[in-house]
Parts: sequence; structure tokens; C-alpha cells
Amino acid sequence: MRFTKSYIIQYLFLLIIILFLILIINNVHFNLIRTGLGFDFAWLFRPASFSLAEHILPYSPSNSFAWALLVGWTNSLRVIFVALIFSTIIGISAGILGKSHNYILKFISRLYILIIRQTPLLLQLLFWYFVGFLSIRNPVNIIVPIINISNQGINIFGYILTPEFSSLIIGLSVFTGAYIAEIVRGGLNSVPKGQWEAYKSLGISDSIGLKDIIIPQALPAILPGLTSQYLNLAKNSTLAIAVGYADIYAVSDTVINQTGKSIEGFILLLIGFLFINLIISNIMEFFNRNILKNKA
Amino acid sequence: MKIITKDIKFLLFKARKIGINNKTDLFITFILLVGVFATLTNFLNWIFFHANWEVVSRNLNLYIIGTYPKALSWRPFLWISIIILLSFTTLLKKLNYIKKRFIYICWLLIIPLGIYLLAGGINIIPISTNFWGGLSLTLILTFISIIIALPIGILLALGRQSNLLIIKKITSLYIDCMRSVPLIAILFFGQLLTPLLLPVGMEINRVIRAIFSFSIFVSAYISEDIRGGLQSVPQNQIEAAKVLGLNKYQINKFIVLPQALIIAIPALTNQAIGLLQNTSLMAILGLVELLGISRSILANPQFIGSHLEVYVWLALIYWLVCTIIALLAKKIERHFSKSLNFQGDL
Amino acid sequence: MSQTIIAKSLVKSFSQNKLALNDVSLEVQKGEVLVIMGPSGSGKSTLIRTFNGLERIDKGELNILGLRLNSFSNDEIIKKIRKRVGMVFQQFNLFPHLTVLSNITLAPIQVQNKDKKHAEKSAYELLVQMGIEEHAFKYPKQLSGGEQQRVAIARALALNPEIMLFDEPTSALDPERVNEVLDAIKSLAKKGMTMIIVTHEIEFAKEAADRVLFMDEGRVVEITTPEIFFTNAKNERSRRFLNQLSK
Repeated sequence: MRFTKSYIIQYLFLLIIILFLILIINNVHFNLIRTGLGFDFAWLFRPASFSLAEHILPYSPSNSFAWALLVGWTNSLRVIFVALIFSTIIGISAGILGKSHNYILKFISRLYILIIRQTPLLLQLLFWYFVGFLSIRNPVNIIVPIINISNQGINIFGYILTPEFSSLIIGLSVFTGAYIAEIVRGGLNSVPKGQWEAYKSLGISDSIGLKDIIIPQALPAILPGLTSQYLNLAKNSTLAIAVGYADIYAVSDTVINQTGKSIEGFILLLIGFLFINLIISNIMEFFNRNILKNKA
Repeated sequence: MKIITKDIKFLLFKARKIGINNKTDLFITFILLVGVFATLTNFLNWIFFHANWEVVSRNLNLYIIGTYPKALSWRPFLWISIIILLSFTTLLKKLNYIKKRFIYICWLLIIPLGIYLLAGGINIIPISTNFWGGLSLTLILTFISIIIALPIGILLALGRQSNLLIIKKITSLYIDCMRSVPLIAILFFGQLLTPLLLPVGMEINRVIRAIFSFSIFVSAYISEDIRGGLQSVPQNQIEAAKVLGLNKYQINKFIVLPQALIIAIPALTNQAIGLLQNTSLMAILGLVELLGISRSILANPQFIGSHLEVYVWLALIYWLVCTIIALLAKKIERHFSKSLNFQGDL
Repeated sequence: MSQTIIAKSLVKSFSQNKLALNDVSLEVQKGEVLVIMGPSGSGKSTLIRTFNGLERIDKGELNILGLRLNSFSNDEIIKKIRKRVGMVFQQFNLFPHLTVLSNITLAPIQVQNKDKKHAEKSAYELLVQMGIEEHAFKYPKQLSGGEQQRVAIARALALNPEIMLFDEPTSALDPERVNEVLDAIKSLAKKGMTMIIVTHEIEFAKEAADRVLFMDEGRVVEITTPEIFFTNAKNERSRRFLNQLSK
């Protein structure tokens, strides 16, 4: 009696989902025929015939759409990777400073988190791009002649980072850093007060106490939050389109506009992101497991 | 002489109280103070003497109501004024039970009122969503999306917790897929692909498409927050309810869900704030909400180069709205968590 | 038929090599107060939890108020039993998000379909009976442990149960709060309620129990009157347990 009832509910639910999908697929099918678009992936190997401002891999408009998408992915991965490192550095520093005994350091850390978390990332990206880079009138030499910042981007040792790339990295790192800082602060708070008092009473300095006693205990609480911030960072990197950086989303957007193959383009984008998510989660899971193993 | 040493000792005591223990600390603090002071003076100097606020003051209407017809601008303005009034009453006044009930009902009515005032209809002139814009569009996108996403999120969370295997698998698949995709892709999908999903001849306007996209996106995140809440309701609560003869549905409705929702309030607040900020993404996809209208203003040759002024002004508005939401949520949370404190339970 | 509970050869195990209940048989008469004692891990909580289906038995058969319960019984029969058997837990398990009054009226309104006014009236009477009517609109966390446990008793009584089960009702209380709860249970006994109580309180057992059941390692060691149990226990294990308790 109990089993049959729950089975009926489940199959009814499944039936509704399937009917809904059939309805949608039917509509899509009909609409594709009506607009003459069809559904196939042959277009991937036709020449893209649009140019990309920035690419690590060699690229020219005569390359195929598939190659253009691959270039988009490499551009995305480049941004994600660099921003991931910077945001971690910023986040951990700000998180630890938030626990500092120096009131001014604490104030700066809190203010940073407060401002960044309550304003949209897109606004911050536009700020870094238009105000941070494009409106520079006199180039700034930080360490003459090693780092030079101008409206042409950042020039380090003659290696030029475009304003698009630079503002994206700064914006994403500063934004994600604020969220990481909050997670780090929460993790540090999760370590019992007795542990802080214990290392202090043993005469151990703050820096060593943090490194050897507090942070190892805080890490299990920090890592899951860190993982989801990294995943968010990867997803947020698609806002690159707002500052004109050719990441995978921007390239997909162009491809879809040129070919009209919106569904196919969308599916490829989804698969790519599922893949990136898997990579990040697995790497973090690996760290997580190793840390937990060492603790046990 | 004696007095001077006393003074120095007192100063040292004061310094220690704000965290200055030794020379390094003093040095760092000094540098920081100089840095903070320099930044602050520069910023204030810019705000009061160098910034050209004309780009803000001459377009105030645009920021708040977008391109809404001038003659009817009282409608969105009225709506926003009511929201501000209601927020401040909720935050500032100490309320008794009846007044609380009243305010609660007012909040529930905010969304239908907003739709009625903006869209028009019965007794007032209908206005197409094409004319909606500015802060009023940002707010209505946020409010409606959240109110749709919340029940979907609850159902998804319950589905994922269910011991009916098929339901569990399907909801999990939906949640995991939705959470691994960037929002901009979902919004793009909503704008570009929904026409393909619909029967021929059926059309939905851009604002509704955006709301649809935001709702299905945020509901996946909300469901995970609620699932966290569900998991932290102690097992003995369910046992006690079973013993009283409540059935599964009643246990969820009266015992587990209310507690899970209270536990999830902080996380849900973050989702609401995140959603409000993310409505700005619609600027990329052609809606003229707060950020979108600002981009059009900046594109006006008259205001070229006024980026910084506009961005600071926008940051201020977003910051204010987000802070108000956070404060309101704190108030609600404090109201409920009086009763809920599991640490004392065991 | 005056037996309200008949248990025949109950067997229950949680892990493979240890039996929580090992061939437990007993009968409880209508209006009887049975106190179950025994060292921790002896299976007393498990036993009492089988009486309203919180634990399923692996073997044997239970007859609760004429309803038969065995390892194959479905949820429907368990629901029927729960409607007629009340239970009070060690940790009170009040619903923290509901006021005291709502805690008590929830089940009468939702399970018995009583109207709200009627349910609230009976709830208030129960609170008076428990001596805590002034707390009706407070939340559980604002009450002391003893008061919370009395609310829990009132909550169970609100369904007019024919049997009441108490699973160590005073173990989580501060010592000075124990008696107020025991007094409430005693007053129920005077009214002729059938009750099964797991407890370590010897004085209470002497005063209120009709019979005492002593359990060890999942078995019934002894079941007898309190006079005999506390002065002249037959079994060596019972005597050792009593010695330890009185130390």
C-alpha cells in the first residue's frame, strides 16, 4: 500500500516532466523548421570570419568556429586562473587582517568587505575598465621602468596586459577576494578561543601561531566555502563581455549572432561550464581530502 | 615631571586598547593613518570640488524611473516612496503585535501594487514594459523574481531530500546543472531562446522573460540554502512530531520547514542581495534598469567622461538598497531566532 | 480484556552481534504504572520506543490496545497506535518555533481535527493542571527545563491518550527541578492513567509504581512489586544495580 502510493506519485511526476519536455522539444522543432535554422553542428567547421582582439593560441578570421570557441575557452581559463590566485591572496590577507588586534587594519578590512559585497560586480568591472584604465591621461610608472600603467593597459617588462584583461583580473580578484575574506574570517572564528589563548600563553608569536596552529584548524571550515567562491569566480568571469574581453561567453555570443545556431551554441557553452565546474570541484576535493587525511 | 610620565602612561594604555603594543605596531598604524587620511581627503576633495555632479542631478528622473512617460511619472515615484516609507517604519519603530501584522500585510501587497502602478490597467492608463526602467525596474525585477523563486526553491529542496528516488534524481540534476551555469548564459537563454521554446504566435515581453530567467536561476541556489536549513533541524523534532500522530506532510509543513526557513534567513538574504546586484546584468542584454539607463546616459555626448561620477552615484544607490535589505532581514531574523536556539537544546 | 500492552518475545538489534532486545515478554494492565529500570544500554529506551513504533521490532509480537504490531506491520497501524499512546522524551523535544500553547494545540487541531477554540480551551486546562498556565504565550526556550518538561507532558495529554510513555523524563533536568515533573506524573497516576516510565528515581518508583521491571543486556531480569524489588530483589544483578544507584 505504502509502496504503491509513492510509486504512483513518482511516475506521475516523471510523466509530467516528460510531457513537458516533449511539448518544449516539439515547439523547438517546429520553430526551427519554421525559421529554417535546423539543428546540426556542421557549422562548427566553417570559417568564423570575425576577429578576436586577444588570443593566446594563434587565431585568424579564416579559422573555423570551433577554433574560435577553443580560443575563447583558453582566454577564459587564463582569466579564471590568474584571478583565482590573486583573489585567494587578497581574500586570505583581508580575512586575517579582519582578525587583527590593530583597530585600523580591522577597520580597513571591514570597510573593504562592506563596500565590495554590497555593490554589483558588473558595476565594479565597468569602474576598473572605464575609470581605472581608459581614463588615465598620464601614464603611471610604479617602478620605473618595470611596471607602467596607462590607458593602453599594464606593461610589465615589456609584456603588455590589455586594459580589458587587466580590469577583468582586478575586478574579479577584488570582488571574489571580499567574499573569500568573509569565509576566512568565519573559519578563523570557528577555531575555539582557547586555541588562540593557548598559543599566546606558550609565548608563540602571532604569525607562527596563525600559520601552525590556527589556520590548520580553520581550513576544514574554510575549504568548502572557498570551493564555491572559485566556482562563482569561474561563472562570473563571463562578465568579461561588458569590458570587451573575448572570453568564451563573448565568443559564443558572437558565434550565435553570426550563425543563428543559438541552441547548439548554448549547449556547447553549458557542457564547457559543467566541465570547468567538475575540474575545480575535483581539485578542491583533492585538497580537502588530503588536509582531512593529515588531520586524522 | 611626574605628571608627564603619568600622561605618557595613560597614552600608552589608550594605545594598547586600540591594539598598539609595540614600535612596529605604532609604525604600521602611523603609515595606515596617513594613507587613510590621504585617500579620504583626496576623495572628499574630488566629491566637493572636482566632480561634476551635473550628470547625476540633471538625470535624477532617469535613474529612478527610466524612460517612463513624464506625465505618469508619479506612479513609479509613489511606489518607491511607499517602499522607502515602509522600510523605515519596519526598521525604526518598535512595533506591537497588531502593527507587526499590518506591516507584514503591507509588504505582501508591495509587489501587486508595484505591478499595478507600473503596468497600469484598471482605471489607469496601461504602460508597456518597454518604458519601464531605472531603479523602479531594478526593484520590481528583484522582488518578483525572489517571490517566484522562493516557493520553487522550497519544493526543489524538499524534492532533493525526498526518499522517492526518481524525484530526488530529477531535482538534483536540475539544481546541479543550474548552479554550474553562469547567470548571464541563463539570461541570454531567456532572452534569445524562449521564443523558440514557445508555441508559434505566443510571445512574452523582455521583462517577463528576464523575471523567468532570474527565477529559475535563483531557485536552484535558494533550494541549496533551504536544504542546509532542513538538514540542521534536529532529528528529535521529527520524532516528537511523529509521536503526536502528525503525518509526513504535516511534519514538513508545521515542524521542519518553518525551522529550516528561519535557519536559512541569513543565506536567503544573501541570495536576495545577490539577485538585486545581478539584475544589473540585464544592462548587457538591453534592459534599461539602473545600470542600463546609466550606460545610456554615459553614451550621451553631453556627459562624456563622467564615468567616475556616475559609478560612484550608482555604487551609493546599490549599496543603500542592499544595506536596507540586509537590515530588514536582520530584523526579521532577530524576531524569529528568539525562539530558535538549538545550542541550548542538548 | 484488561491488558493494554502485551509483548511476546520481542527481539531487536541495531548491530549484528548485539541484541538491544533479547526475547522480552511482558503484560501491562489497564491503569497500571510500570517503572522500567536498568543500567544504561540495557535496552529500556528501545523497549519503550517499540510501544509506539519509533523502533520496529525484528521478531516477536506486540499488542497495544488491541492493535497488533509485528515486524511486518505497516505505517497505518503505527499511526493508529500513536494516536492513542502519548510519549514524553528525555530532551523534551518541544517545537522551538511555536509558543507553549501552539505546541499543545498543534496535534489536536491537525490530527484530531478539533476546532481551534476548543483545542485552546482544553490546552489551557492542561496547563492549569500542570501549574504553568502563566507561560502559555511564551516560547519553550524562555522556560526552565522543569517547565518545558511539564509542557511536553501537557502536549502528550492533549490527545487524550490511553497510555503514556515516559523515556527518562527527569534525566535532563537540574536536580532542584526534578520533583515538579515527578509530582505531575504522580498526579496522573492517581487519575488512573496507564503509564510506563523509564527512570532512575528510586523514591519515585517506590511511591508511584505498581510494578518495577528491571532490564539488563536486553533481557527482562526481574518484574515485581516495588516493595520486593527495593528491599528483597531476587536477582544478584538487580541488587548490584541498586547498590550502585544508592551510592
